[in-house]
Amino acid sequence: MHMRTCFAASSVLLAALIIPTAAEASIGIGIQAGPVRLSGAAHPGGIYSLPRVLVVNTGTQTESVVIEVERVSPGRGLTVPPSWVREAGPTVSLAHDQSSRIPLRLVVPATAKPGSYVSDVIARGSAGLAAGSANLGVAAATKLEFTIVPGAVSGSSLAPAWLIAGVGMVFGVLAALIYLRWAGWRIRIVRETPAGEPASGSTDDGA
Amino acid sequence: MMGRRSKFLWPLLVVTMASCGTSGTASNGADQRASIKLTLNTVRTIRSVTVSPGKAVLGDCQYGSAVTKTHSTADRLGFPNGICWFGAKGSKYPILIKNTGVASNIEIFGGNAIPSNGGASWSLCNVGNNPLVACTGPGDLQPGIDQYLLRNFSRNQPRPYAGLSNTPQCDRQFDASHACWAVHGQFQYEGVELIGPSLSSDSSVTWTVAITWMPTPP
Repeated sequence: MHMRTCFAASSVLLAALIIPTAAEASIGIGIQAGPVRLSGAAHPGGIYSLPRVLVVNTGTQTESVVIEVERVSPGRGLTVPPSWVREAGPTVSLAHDQSSRIPLRLVVPATAKPGSYVSDVIARGSAGLAAGSANLGVAAATKLEFTIVPGAVSGSSLAPAWLIAGVGMVFGVLAALIYLRWAGWRIRIVRETPAGEPASGSTDDGA
Repeated sequence: MMGRRSKFLWPLLVVTMASCGTSGTASNGADQRASIKLTLNTVRTIRSVTVSPGKAVLGDCQYGSAVTKTHSTADRLGFPNGICWFGAKGSKYPILIKNTGVASNIEIFGGNAIPSNGGASWSLCNVGNNPLVACTGPGDLQPGIDQYLLRNFSRNQPRPYAGLSNTPQCDRQFDASHACWAVHGQFQYEGVELIGPSLSSDSSVTWTVAITWMPTPP
């Protein structure tokens, strides 16, 4: 009798634990509320690393997050063509309450029109498509802002200055060596034989 | 004997005094600056939404044509212009949409209905005065060939409206005043109604539709 009571109580407790979990199954996605803003102005033809965008899975199911660019929020400014912004890393899969900072790359074509650009970065949860049912999906948007000014690209933000200087130095040394060889310069290393020592190849047999 | 001892002790004394001097300098310090580290925690500024359940089976289907033997059954959409529901207007609103982030506009959009064989899809259409994509069925009030109409509904707006499109639009079910601004924690229960095409050029019997809710900046 005691065993039966104990089993029943355990079953009730187990059900109480499982049922709310099943009932609360949800899909959810979040994105940073602050805008994704490029520090400094961009130039036509430049490639820039945008600040990493924070996304979080607010649902109970694991989600693969896809990043898209689309103008959904109002306001003035030119619309960013979606092809200008690319995910710099692989697609991110997030478990419940897990977050990630996704790197984005801005590729400005040489023909880009100068001005202020406004669009939205949209994080979309790719809930699995199941045939025969309506899939309820989630997405979240935050603003994307940057300015394009005319002028030459002063150095991509993807490559730091020290790297550019280092690569430049290596190329400089290589160019100098190639020029010296082409000009007929030779560096000859001669080893002098000390006085009194026999020259290499000679014999001293007293003959 | 003393000389040998002092030979070892003197250097030890010098080192000891030097180290005392060093520690004394450090503790008294010519530089009087002092700092403490303060840690500040802020609330998370995330724009997010949560929807449950994640999947829904459209059922309770009605209408179609008995003459052509394409009338709807309980779980299958009929032609022409059968209607299926997830939930029931006036009584059942099974989808919970909750703003779990900062105050935002809650927007909603749909997508094409995709057949299981990957053939010709159905596109969304709208009814009313200014439809984004006009329905071309009977009287322009019903979807035409390969078109379908998707509407969400709630207690707030039981009457029909233009319908969803592929473009995000304000989810006017979300607020009693028919605005879609939602503060943190605000939620809404909704249902979905689907009106099928007058005719489908694809013969698939299994289709998938997607509805997405999205919080956007003001």
